[in-house]
Amino acid sequence: MTARLVGTSPNRVGGFGRVSGLQEYVADIRIPDVLEGKLVTLDCARARIISIDTSEAEQVPGVRLVMTAADLPQPMPRFGPQLEDRPVIAVGETKYHGEPVAIVAAETKDAAAEGARLVHVEYEELPAVFTVAAALDPAAPLVQDPSLRPNDKFASTNVLREHRVGWGDVDAGKADLVIENSYSFPIVTHFAIEPHAFMAAPDGNGIAVWSSIQHPNWLQKILAKLLGLPLSKVRVYAPDPGGGFGGKQHTKYEPLVAYAALKAGRPVRLILSLEESFQAARRAACEIGVRTGFTADGKIVFQDVKADYLIGAYTDIADRVVGKGSYPAAGPYNVPAVRILARSILSHTLPSTAFRGFGNPQVNWAVESNLDEGARALGIDRLEIRLRNLARKGDAFIPFDTPADGDWDQAVRRAADLIGWDQPLAPGHGRGIAVGIKSGPTTGLSYSTVRLLGDGSVVVLAGTSDMGQGARTILAQIAAEELGAPLDSIAIVMGDTAIVPYDQQTSASRSTVLMGNSVLMACRSIQSQIRTMAARLHEVDESDISVERGVVKLPDRQLTILEVLKPGLGRLGGELTGNGEMRKDAEPNHPLSGAPAFFEFNCTAIEAEVDEGTGDITILRHVTVSDVGKAINPLQVRMQDEGAAIQGLGHTLMEHYIFDESGRIRNLGAIDYRIPTSMDLPLELRSETIENEDGPGPYGSKGMSEGALLCVAPAVAAAVRDACGAVIRDLPLSPERVWQALQERGDQVATGRKGR
Amino acid sequence: MQTFAYERPATLAEAVALLDAHGPDARVLAGGTDLVIRLRDGSARPRVVIDVKRIAELSPEIREHDGIVTIGATTVMTDLAESKLVRRLFEALAEAAAVVGSVQIRNRATLAGNICNASPAADTAPPLLVYGAVVVAAGPQGTRRIPISEFFVRSGVTALERNELVVAIELPVPTSRTGAAHLRRTRRRGHDLASVTVCCSVDANGVTRLSYGSVGPRPVLTVDESGVLADPTAADAAKAPILERMFADASPSKRSMRASPEYRLAMLRVLGSRAVRTAIERLASDAPVEE
Amino acid sequence: MEMRSIDIVVNGRGRSLEVAVHHTLLDALRDDLELTGTKECCLVGECGACTVMVDGRIVDSCLMLAVEADGAEILTVEGLAQDGQLSPLQQAFLDKGAVQCGFCTPGQLVAAQALLDGNADPSVPEIQEGLAGNLCRCGCYFQITEAVLSAAEGGHR
Repeated sequence: MTARLVGTSPNRVGGFGRVSGLQEYVADIRIPDVLEGKLVTLDCARARIISIDTSEAEQVPGVRLVMTAADLPQPMPRFGPQLEDRPVIAVGETKYHGEPVAIVAAETKDAAAEGARLVHVEYEELPAVFTVAAALDPAAPLVQDPSLRPNDKFASTNVLREHRVGWGDVDAGKADLVIENSYSFPIVTHFAIEPHAFMAAPDGNGIAVWSSIQHPNWLQKILAKLLGLPLSKVRVYAPDPGGGFGGKQHTKYEPLVAYAALKAGRPVRLILSLEESFQAARRAACEIGVRTGFTADGKIVFQDVKADYLIGAYTDIADRVVGKGSYPAAGPYNVPAVRILARSILSHTLPSTAFRGFGNPQVNWAVESNLDEGARALGIDRLEIRLRNLARKGDAFIPFDTPADGDWDQAVRRAADLIGWDQPLAPGHGRGIAVGIKSGPTTGLSYSTVRLLGDGSVVVLAGTSDMGQGARTILAQIAAEELGAPLDSIAIVMGDTAIVPYDQQTSASRSTVLMGNSVLMACRSIQSQIRTMAARLHEVDESDISVERGVVKLPDRQLTILEVLKPGLGRLGGELTGNGEMRKDAEPNHPLSGAPAFFEFNCTAIEAEVDEGTGDITILRHVTVSDVGKAINPLQVRMQDEGAAIQGLGHTLMEHYIFDESGRIRNLGAIDYRIPTSMDLPLELRSETIENEDGPGPYGSKGMSEGALLCVAPAVAAAVRDACGAVIRDLPLSPERVWQALQERGDQVATGRKGR
Repeated sequence: MQTFAYERPATLAEAVALLDAHGPDARVLAGGTDLVIRLRDGSARPRVVIDVKRIAELSPEIREHDGIVTIGATTVMTDLAESKLVRRLFEALAEAAAVVGSVQIRNRATLAGNICNASPAADTAPPLLVYGAVVVAAGPQGTRRIPISEFFVRSGVTALERNELVVAIELPVPTSRTGAAHLRRTRRRGHDLASVTVCCSVDANGVTRLSYGSVGPRPVLTVDESGVLADPTAADAAKAPILERMFADASPSKRSMRASPEYRLAMLRVLGSRAVRTAIERLASDAPVEE
Repeated sequence: MEMRSIDIVVNGRGRSLEVAVHHTLLDALRDDLELTGTKECCLVGECGACTVMVDGRIVDSCLMLAVEADGAEILTVEGLAQDGQLSPLQQAFLDKGAVQCGFCTPGQLVAAQALLDGNADPSVPEIQEGLAGNLCRCGCYFQITEAVLSAAEGGHR
């Protein structure tokens, strides 16, 4: 039976609201009696709080509440998805530039701003560490109180955790050539166009909270624990976020706003400014040392990777990022000996969190760049060396783990084809190619409920967060496909923990596979009920009836689901309900708590030229090919991949936080933190998919949307080197940095342009 | 942002009187693309904001009259960039106006506001210097004309008195054929603040005027009358020392986030020689700018 | 706090309101008129999420005081649809997949509409330059360009 909808690109569900301006994001939701919130922060990276005088602020007409640590339970409640180390508000010390010391709630924004201005904080600036070297210095101040990590051998250092992965014997490996280099990846931020937004209101003997959160159930759990409420009394509304990219996955200021609302006895809303959002979420910076051993004919003998990730003052999910991101650092290759040591290093900076790619872009930047250098030194074509080492489907390229789950070489060959790898290059042009994998979810739990209503229309209750990736649409397509209902009769309800069943989270590109399968199961349950109904109505054995893709097949005829449903429900009408539970349980012995459900594989190829006078890079062609199993909605897949590619160009070419000598961020806000505009695009961007229907999701799909970001930086740097010989190992490849490398080019030992 | 008194004078006399009365407590509001940001971040805390857009004597028009092109104080960048007159006679100024921010910014930002802001990185400053603009200012004592070369004092400071208002910017119509170009360095192709701005004109008499900004507290104008820079047949080796002398006043800030001093100076040289080359080409072709 | 009365026409409808002089047009639209389609993001005139048309030209409404709009005609995203029907441009955005999270979409639409109003047949570079003041972090730029081209072909009004 051919698919009616899956594999086609119907218009986005939820699109109408977005183009008409009617869609309500958190900041657009008006509830009566709400107080405007404003955070008070210090112009300082790290400070000891001596005193906070709120008296003048409290006098401002319209100010109803000024809350500091003193107004919260003692000892200060702490939370965090990994470690409960983050205080609801700064207590005794601020540990990063932007950590709030007070919140003002007032009748108007003006009053709140005025109140915030008049909170007088007496503080003493303390030395802050905000680089890896500074944090690791034996004399460095400790970011975290050792008492937060009892029985932890690293408690008296700024190393939060070490992650060691490996197999084989790296030191015994016989390599004909060893390439060793250091690379760095800067701090960058998500810059979703919607700043983080929060609102809380007392709700009977419970609380209602609105947030731009990607993981509503996780937030619910944290709030319930902090406030001492049963889950059933904590209602989290999670409207579709205006962009997330990981920066809105985890709890940030919701607890603070909740406490404020409970204290004030009224709703409180806190909409962050863009600058405050920049101080709320970021990607971990990383310093990576890579030692790669090769045989003379280009086989990788060993990979020895050290990655120091600079995380923030509180863990958030950053340590998981380090562990999971570094785990496949050796790449999608068959490598006999691997040693990876990744460390999460605490610093007096804002907490780093999840960000598209989840720790992989940093190490991939280093490992792929190093591979390129090996190819050049050996005189081997840079495409060829990858194909030579690439894991083939079924290879246990990470021992005892999920084997390579795609025909990855197809993606590589397709990308090479599209970029014209074998074609002659125009003078001054260069090409680069890079591959990468990102592990999908290692554990997961997605419940869904599907209701087939009496007229054949459908309601799907699914807790995934649609932040633009199009989850609503594909879940609707699945339901429409399975139940034979027109797409525009499918209503998707998300983002309300009181109504929508539990979903663990929206991350790791999991939703197509996990929630998709859950919805599929729920539909199958309904199909099964339809089968029973049809058997009853037509006096046929159930075993002689099949229900598939909206069609009920009886021995002597075919009916639509609706043609069974209506008579089956009878005069009283009603509906059928199906539940789905897609679960991936933890494997306690696995370093990541579970093997990945799938890998996202991507190959990116770039053709570029460099203005050697100024260092400007022009991306002439950008090709990205991802292995997706099955594109349930090909247009949405293409949009995700192109979006990821463009976002990757951001950290490749222009994005980075600039700190001053004392650890304050100098370039907060949109004027001096640059992201790609419509004028910063590749002249040609081409994205394609490999669809072998070999994924664990519905119809053979896999997750996607992070892969296309992973490989951008190494592919661009490789193209730049190919074009002009500039060798750069630190991102971003700003014009100034490229120019600098060009000045140094003449001093380098020429490795030549032997290989391609 | 904190509140203020908002005045919207209908005549120049009213506006001047307001400025005179409130002195340093007043700020002029034209396009607002700089001022509103400052009002919001608190770097400007005026008691009075004087909106000059409804003043009868200030116009958003560009007129040619008696060998002078007058650009009204409320002329916005979009109109400057699209003006056939400006594109024909002062092509580098049109080029500069076309890259100030985005369309949204250019629809509001005024040329007068741009120069009054006196950012060393102002894109319009080098072309105004090269074209010998004159700023017409009105104050309680009447009107005076300030040559642009005296107008920029240092970052954020102009030669205007506290109680003066820019009424117009005048540009003398070039008396000989000129080719000119405006170039800048930014961190991305999308709109950005410049880390170096350069404008160069060469005329049929072999005079090269070169102005550069964002490499010091104020934009600088230098002139070469030797004819060597303007000579299309002269070798780069002959031009380089002349350019070096012209760049001698460059003193880029060490504190800037946007670019290091080393890079700025290097780019000044690169853009300088490119601007000279383009100016020469344009003089030679002297094709009227696209209508 | 100084208040002023202003008269503006918003999406074809005359409105009189009292605004605080230090409030921006964005504040007035979102808070006083409850037209929340126009979004707030960078507040420094860089991202374009607050783009509206004032007297036929696009501006960043976060950089315009509400009082400056006195007497002006304003068009916001809510004014693009006519009689409940999406405009050809809005429809093109949906058809070409030019919308992901949607937060930048209102600004993009108003900027694109202004572009088409002034240039019925824009080239790709003209579209990219015309919309350069509208950031999209989801990276829909190519699809947005396709949508504008498609609306131009089909007649944008």
